[in-house]
Amino acid sequence: METIELENVTKSYNSNKVIEDISFSVKPGEIFGLLGPNGAGKTTILRMMLDIIKPDSGNIKVFGKKLDSDSKDRTGYLPEERGLYKRSRVIELLVYLAQLKGMTKPRALENAESLLQSIEMLEHKDKKIEELSKGMQQKIQFIATIIHNPDLIVVDEPFSGLDPVNTQLIKNILLEQKKAGKTIILSTHMMEQAEVMCDRILMINKGMIVLHGKVGDIKNEHRNNSIFLEFEGNLNSLKEIDLIENIISHGTYIEIFLKEGHDIQSLIEDIVKRVKIQRIEQSTPSLNEIFINIVKGVTS
Amino acid sequence: MNKSIMVAKYEFLKTVKRKEFILMTLGFPLFFILIILVPLLLTGFSSPEDLTLGYIDRSNSFEFPDEITVKESMIFSNEIPGTTNNQDLDGQDNGKDQIIKLIRYSDVEAAKQDVISGTLSGYLIIPQDYLKTGIVESFVMGKGTNIPQDELSELMVNNLLQDKVDEDTLKRVKDPITFKQFSIETTGEVSEKGLTDLLEDSALPYIIGILLIISIFTSSGYLLQSVAEEKESRIIEILLSSVTPMELLTGKIVGLGSVGLLQIAIWLSVGFAGLIYVFALSINPLLLILSLAYFILGFLLFASMMGAVGAMSGSMRESQQLIPIFTFPAIAPILFMQVLITEPDGMLSMFFSMFPLTSPVAMLIRMGVSDVPLYQIAISLLILMVSVYFVILASARLFRVRLLMYGKRPAIGEIIRYMKTG
Repeated sequence: METIELENVTKSYNSNKVIEDISFSVKPGEIFGLLGPNGAGKTTILRMMLDIIKPDSGNIKVFGKKLDSDSKDRTGYLPEERGLYKRSRVIELLVYLAQLKGMTKPRALENAESLLQSIEMLEHKDKKIEELSKGMQQKIQFIATIIHNPDLIVVDEPFSGLDPVNTQLIKNILLEQKKAGKTIILSTHMMEQAEVMCDRILMINKGMIVLHGKVGDIKNEHRNNSIFLEFEGNLNSLKEIDLIENIISHGTYIEIFLKEGHDIQSLIEDIVKRVKIQRIEQSTPSLNEIFINIVKGVTS
Repeated sequence: MNKSIMVAKYEFLKTVKRKEFILMTLGFPLFFILIILVPLLLTGFSSPEDLTLGYIDRSNSFEFPDEITVKESMIFSNEIPGTTNNQDLDGQDNGKDQIIKLIRYSDVEAAKQDVISGTLSGYLIIPQDYLKTGIVESFVMGKGTNIPQDELSELMVNNLLQDKVDEDTLKRVKDPITFKQFSIETTGEVSEKGLTDLLEDSALPYIIGILLIISIFTSSGYLLQSVAEEKESRIIEILLSSVTPMELLTGKIVGLGSVGLLQIAIWLSVGFAGLIYVFALSINPLLLILSLAYFILGFLLFASMMGAVGAMSGSMRESQQLIPIFTFPAIAPILFMQVLITEPDGMLSMFFSMFPLTSPVAMLIRMGVSDVPLYQIAISLLILMVSVYFVILASARLFRVRLLMYGKRPAIGEIIRYMKTG
């Protein structure tokens, strides 16, 4: 059974189509990246998954059925728009939010304290939210998302506004949750994070799917037929190689594009004969580059 | 439903702990007590200051005693007319009486000098034509001295009528009327109407009506604030991933409604404790039950509307600007009080006591001044209940649709569309 299944989901606001006929599924235990530029419709998809807003048409199943009160309790959501009751005390607020997810008060209290401990904020538990710094508030909100030990964790831009140390902290907690068998949906436009964390990704742009699949597969698919090379010797001697279509200089290194239908292996053999190789690498584009190319391609 | 209770409990505790709530709930009765007590205390404390007055009688018709005593308790008895035994106060002397010494002068200059030197507090001149004009001139130092007019009047009456009329006539001239009211029932039964009955009949519903308005407004105001706050602080999205909009709205209404009930209960118990103690008042239980019913329904009506307004507007400030839309219909019965009291069964009164936005207060006032037929009360409650049902339904839809929308306020057409389709 898939943890989440979307089937032909469409949503429009005032005759403005935000999501157009999208279908995908999220498997149990994976970190699923929902990527796309600002305004692509990521948050709308998440809100529909969580039954905060309703789709115009299509089906959404969570844990194999329509979202109900029980499956809401098994879900934790960190919205992109951050905010907490400013005048509430940290511990009271965490316990209340956990109780709304069906947790008993003693359990909620216990979880709240151990989670506060894990983000090194236990000493702030009796402070009011408004007394905390913005980064601290964000960490509190993050643990509010997982305090009820949900099976499905949905986080929308969890790292925005966090310093590198805290980013690492949150990242580690998410990876721990994955290890514990939880399913995680990570919505972000920070491709570097998605690239290292996600098993599979879905990239949308203007309400439509543009990429979908395993991170490795996608990168292979979008690989240019080229290698990066750092060398000592004469560049012109390389240009004489028949297999080469084109050479682009990137300053300290060059990128060599191969002619269609030729093998990289034989190219390397040829290069070795002509120059002294310092570094050679088959080029795989980062998700970031793929992302930029696709977004540019669609707009132009 | 369980989650609604959780929301209700949280909202209740959060609001009750607020400084504004505590201030309002305890401050309001305190404020009233102060308003009533302070003037009493002030007059009470200022009375013991003794006076020495000179007088020059140019009409040659008065003979004043050397001094008169103003009983302190008379000041109090004048404040509460109709209480029993206020004629016979001579027995209770509590030693705080004001003594006024009266000294006859024949020379104005001498009196003036004595005022300046401080031996006199002031002097009076009774002109030659006093009997025709009634004018007495008083001269005091600066503005400070208060000459007790009532006691001097009594003194003058005594002087004028002495030996001309008998003792009883003299008494009646000074205090001609003490009203004793009777009311005739349709059955022909005649019963005495005391102050207590008057209070029970008209003042009580009036007081309850006003408390109702204040309480409905403070608690539905809290609701508006709490919805707007959640929207503004964006915590709403977390809440909605845990509960449905209906559960959230219900929980808030129940929680904050209980706050309102608690508040009105505190006020009424303080107020009634006072009234029962002072006037041995008995409270009609039917009136109390109906007040409760009208409070709950009235609150539900206003609260759900305010919930929708809170969801509709983008910020706390914006939502507060919309409150007056509700204030006017709610206080309309108070504005038209005169009509409600003088023509409790007229067209306008009927309308006000049936129209759901005004009926809670208007009906209670009507019940105070006339015998409203039971079927009318039933109809008005029914109309109120039906409107509450529809308003909650419409509000919950608006609530759901608008809660996550920010930016421009929706146009009327859009609002109606949301209510239909939500």
